[in-house]
Amino acid sequence: MTTSTVAPQIVRFAEGVRAALADLPAEEVDDLTEGLEADLAESLAEDLRRTLPDPVAYAAELRLAAGLPARAPSTKRGLLRGLPDAWQQTREAVDIAVRRTPVLAGAVDLAGSLRPVWWIVRAWLATWLLAAFFGMEDGYWFEGVWWLVLVGLVVVSAQWGRGRWSFPGLRAVLVVGNVVAVAALVPVLSAVDARSTDTVYVEGGYGEPDLTGVYLNGVPVTNIFGFDADGKPLREVQLFDQDGNPLATAVSGADGCLDADCEKTGLWVPSALRNGTVAWNVFPMRMVEDEMDVNGGLRAVPGAEPQDRVSPYKRVPALVTTEKVAKPND
Amino acid sequence: MDATQLLKGVLDVAVLAVVEDEDGYGYDVVRRLRAAGLEEVGDASVYGTLRRLYSAGALTSYVVPSEEGPHRKYYGINAQGRATLELQRKVWAEFSATMNALLSSSSQPGEAA
Repeated sequence: MTTSTVAPQIVRFAEGVRAALADLPAEEVDDLTEGLEADLAESLAEDLRRTLPDPVAYAAELRLAAGLPARAPSTKRGLLRGLPDAWQQTREAVDIAVRRTPVLAGAVDLAGSLRPVWWIVRAWLATWLLAAFFGMEDGYWFEGVWWLVLVGLVVVSAQWGRGRWSFPGLRAVLVVGNVVAVAALVPVLSAVDARSTDTVYVEGGYGEPDLTGVYLNGVPVTNIFGFDADGKPLREVQLFDQDGNPLATAVSGADGCLDADCEKTGLWVPSALRNGTVAWNVFPMRMVEDEMDVNGGLRAVPGAEPQDRVSPYKRVPALVTTEKVAKPND
Repeated sequence: MDATQLLKGVLDVAVLAVVEDEDGYGYDVVRRLRAAGLEEVGDASVYGTLRRLYSAGALTSYVVPSEEGPHRKYYGINAQGRATLELQRKVWAEFSATMNALLSSSSQPGEAA
């Protein structure tokens, strides 16, 4: 070579030739055009009057001499059959363009080595969506048996990703599934995030979340039912701990099952105090039916009224109070 | 008669003959063919032929990196290529002898007349 770099018109010409060969397998294109720039540069340096030919005609001569089929016209074969061809050609053209750019090629290689991560992510996503359908998701994870489902789907996802367990039409299933998974990933992640830290539900000015929780033997307490000395249920009892902190079981935006079968879910409703603030430590706490808003968060169903929660006991045994014990002694 | 049409049929054996002497890269082979008198030969036809002969197993190939610019792809003949070349030499010798005889005999009646 007489020059240290390739002239721009040669680079453009070589790109045109490769584009015209883009329907061939990438390996074939590489083999056919490897050294093309060097050959052209030398040829032009030797004959200064020479001009570069049409890259498409050049490519046609190249493939004819190489014994390769002429470029298949895809547009004459109808839209439905032409589209996959066009997609394939676009992919190959992009592949070739990417491979010529070291930074992009490196990024694509890295992404390729991270494919197993995606196989696991999509399996988690499918499990989460299924579990959420039955209301059995728990934050980013699930309840009980859904872990087995996750393990099963990870195995299936990885086998498909590695090209095992193939069946006719699997490729189409994977393409559609991946598109759906990518489209669903962000909404699901933000919905999970919104449920754990949601501050959207402020209807009636319910205020900032109170992150205090109450636990019994490690299990979260969601509601508290108080009874008076006679064993009768109490309403609207304000509870505090030994330091005067409000004893709150729920936070703003937290939800739970509204009915016994969990067919409906509801948001916990705090009580309003006369000083203008809201209190999350007033029990039994009531619940209002909720629904998913457009952002994937939860909100109260418009017009729904807060409902009392069903008490585990209608009545509990009365106390032997000091007052009653004292009476016989009088 | 157009010489380029004739060339298409014999480009394989011409390329094999050129790389039999010495390994060469694409344009090097073009230059040697032109120097031998095949001035009409097209670059792309030669590159495509090299690729096809390589695919058919008649040539070896290796890339020589260059620090100054794009790397070069060299082709060399192997045993199968040599066998092919020998066979095609015989075919060409017979074919050209036949054609020479045909063309010279068909011109004789005109001379005899």
